[in-house]
Amino acid sequence: MSFTSWQFAALLIGVFALYWRLPWRGRTWLLLVSSYIFYGAWDARFLALHFTTTVVDFYAALAMEKGRVPLRQVAVMTSLPALWMLFCKFARVQNHDVAWQHLAPAIALPVLFCGLYTALWRVPDQRRRKAFLLLSLGSNLVVLGFFKYFNFFADSLVQILAALGWKTGWTLPHIVLPVGISFYTFQAMSYTIDVYRGQTKSVADFPLFAAFLSFFPQLVAGPIERTHQMMPQFEKPRVWDPTAFQRGGRLLLFGLFKKVFVGDNCALLANYAFAADTPLNGPWALLGVLAFAVQIYGDFSGYTDIARGSAQLLGFRLNHNFRLPYFAQGPSDFWRRWHITLSSWFRDYVYIPLGGNRGGTFATLRNLGLTMVLAGLWHGANWTFILWGAYHGALLIIYRLVPPLHALESAKSRPRVLLGTIVMFALTLVGWAVFRCGSLAQLGDWFAAFGHWQGTSGIGWSKPAIGEVLAAPLANIAVDWLKPALWFAIHALPLALLQFAARRSGDESDNSAWPWPVRGIIYVLMILAIVSSTSGEVEFIYFQF
Amino acid sequence: MHSAFTKTFLLVIAILVVAEIAMRAFWSRGLSGRFDYGYHPTAGFVEKPNGGLELVRAGGRRFHRQLYIQKKPRGLFRIMVVGDSVPRGPSLAEAYSTRVAEFVNGPGIPAEGWNLCLPGYGAHRCHIVLAQALKYQPSLIIRHVNNSNEYEDEREWRRSQDFQGWHPKNLLMKSLLVRRLHEMKTEGVFWSLLPEKIRAQQGMNDAGAKIIAMTDEKQIRAWQDRVRNFLKEDLDLCRAAGVPVLLVTQVRMRGTGKSATLDDSGLDDLARSFVAPGVDVLTMKDVFSGTDFAPLFMDTAHLNGRGHEILARAIAEKITPVANPPQR
Repeated sequence: MSFTSWQFAALLIGVFALYWRLPWRGRTWLLLVSSYIFYGAWDARFLALHFTTTVVDFYAALAMEKGRVPLRQVAVMTSLPALWMLFCKFARVQNHDVAWQHLAPAIALPVLFCGLYTALWRVPDQRRRKAFLLLSLGSNLVVLGFFKYFNFFADSLVQILAALGWKTGWTLPHIVLPVGISFYTFQAMSYTIDVYRGQTKSVADFPLFAAFLSFFPQLVAGPIERTHQMMPQFEKPRVWDPTAFQRGGRLLLFGLFKKVFVGDNCALLANYAFAADTPLNGPWALLGVLAFAVQIYGDFSGYTDIARGSAQLLGFRLNHNFRLPYFAQGPSDFWRRWHITLSSWFRDYVYIPLGGNRGGTFATLRNLGLTMVLAGLWHGANWTFILWGAYHGALLIIYRLVPPLHALESAKSRPRVLLGTIVMFALTLVGWAVFRCGSLAQLGDWFAAFGHWQGTSGIGWSKPAIGEVLAAPLANIAVDWLKPALWFAIHALPLALLQFAARRSGDESDNSAWPWPVRGIIYVLMILAIVSSTSGEVEFIYFQF
Repeated sequence: MHSAFTKTFLLVIAILVVAEIAMRAFWSRGLSGRFDYGYHPTAGFVEKPNGGLELVRAGGRRFHRQLYIQKKPRGLFRIMVVGDSVPRGPSLAEAYSTRVAEFVNGPGIPAEGWNLCLPGYGAHRCHIVLAQALKYQPSLIIRHVNNSNEYEDEREWRRSQDFQGWHPKNLLMKSLLVRRLHEMKTEGVFWSLLPEKIRAQQGMNDAGAKIIAMTDEKQIRAWQDRVRNFLKEDLDLCRAAGVPVLLVTQVRMRGTGKSATLDDSGLDDLARSFVAPGVDVLTMKDVFSGTDFAPLFMDTAHLNGRGHEILARAIAEKITPVANPPQR
């Protein structure tokens, strides 16, 4: 169920209408049921997988802190995914096929988990906590690794073997990627790690924990929340707050504007420029990557705003995920502004455990590089994502090693801030090209396009051609590039203006300083921009991660 | 709950409500029929108060821009061509509707050719256009028969029915303000600023679904039956109005260059089964067989200007006996 679909609007309105009339316990159950409806709308079978993660992490965390629960209870709860899969199979839910090989792991789960659960309780006290943490992390990483990376590693292995002259002839299964698996798995892992570290308490109330892990506004694309921030909001009764309602509505408006008007319209250019069969030239390579930079920001930050706005309507505050990232003066600054909850996750659970900056320059740089490669891999199973992560790791390292660049990142004077921002934006664009290209070969073509400044109409854009350009019919140039560039400007400039206005607060939707009539007129313009752009649902980019 | 609604919120609602009322009061006429996917009964014929008739659009498609007099002047031989993108032609001047009129036009036989053709129009939507066209005293109807647009016709029919309903996904479009904005954005910005390749990407899913549907034998038979049924209704209407009809059947080029062949997809037999007094047939296959036809096609179905001219000459020869008695 996409945030821009009428189904989501109906769900949100329905939940909102009921929610504030229910007692605290009823609200928890309503959130849980609506979240499962929201997630199951894509593919009901994957609810079993999500529920498995929930059950495993719930009992692992309980075992780390509070003690043993009856094995019968564990067995019953771990049997529910198999029962759900059987229901999907025989009720033909959404007409999806549930093969026996899909059912087998679900059926094996209670036996396997109960066996491990019993065995780990025999481990000596001092090692038991770690054992249950490893059980949680292992199960999460196995699920994530299998569903997200099996195809990638298996295909890569076959290709390597073929390159070595060994034709395997294997028929590999195609694994379907469950929506949002990277997000909820990371949130679940942060929960068990925090419980192990003693930074948060384990949750003994299963419906409450399940509602936390499946909370529909942030289930499929974040923000990746931490238990110590979210769980208290679930545990205490929410109180109706008109200002939260206003903030929520405003965030929904800004989110839809960024997604539907900015992101989806810039996507038309980016999708064309990065299509495998598009003959690229310099202007189009540049326009394409600019359009993608705006698209991915509009798409993802729009999603986050809708998520935060929906949560606010229900009395929850989610974390910021963006703070004007294209205003960053350097790579460290960029990662403090872009996908903040993911970068802080990697900082807390990968970079710092690796040693952070505590082991000298070399170790720090190594940890930075490794963390960023893993962050790249988190985005998807493709060499271009790994390369994108490595590229950003390299930027972080270079900015640390080269004093003028380091100084540029922390500069305060206006010209140097501007220079730093421009340089970082240009470097970010190169990164987006790496991210967007479907393969390394396509990435090579994108770079090569900058050596080709001929329009499809044959008009030269390079050295001696400036005279030709002036002499050539303007219509030809317009067909080639200028008109699409105008399309880009129409959709990107309003966002740029909003960002400029919010440069101090870092939040486009925070415009409380503006006079109310100005706000009203701007909101009307935004609404009209959104409704003039609706041409069907376009999926959010980050749903695939 | 009341304090949740701020002055800003109330201002936004007020502006939107006033804009919607203004739109309904002053501009609603200009929007009639534009969101019916080609199924509005007026079919894009806009009658002017001065007795003129403007052919603008039907659904999201546009006729070649044309202006005629509603009431046919005495002695004028008024030819109307109803069909899809093939007879619509690369331009109004090159299309065979115009060229036929030029060939027929002569001393004592003033003639005009109306181009009532829209891309993607199948049998159902052509029937609506034809029903509307008969109001303007045609001397001859040329019905260009094709069967390759039935998928799109059916899809647009479903969309038009869906659009008129109260499904939540259509609620926004119930507002005339939203419709107008959407249309302005589509036609004024989307169409004018983005190259065709980019716009085509938007329709990729439709194109894929069409290709899949076209491989289904049962589906193809159903489409052929659909064409037959609507054609029969077309001819019944024309017969009732006393207007003669020439059926021109489409041909598709298979292969390229010298080895190219012409395939009528069963349309020639279909059309011939309707031959009767007042109904005649001319097949494109007959017209182009024996000629070096490959250079006359822009793709497998669409003719270039020269192709339209050859077809127009053949049509003119066929209809001259009808046009000759200048008593009409």
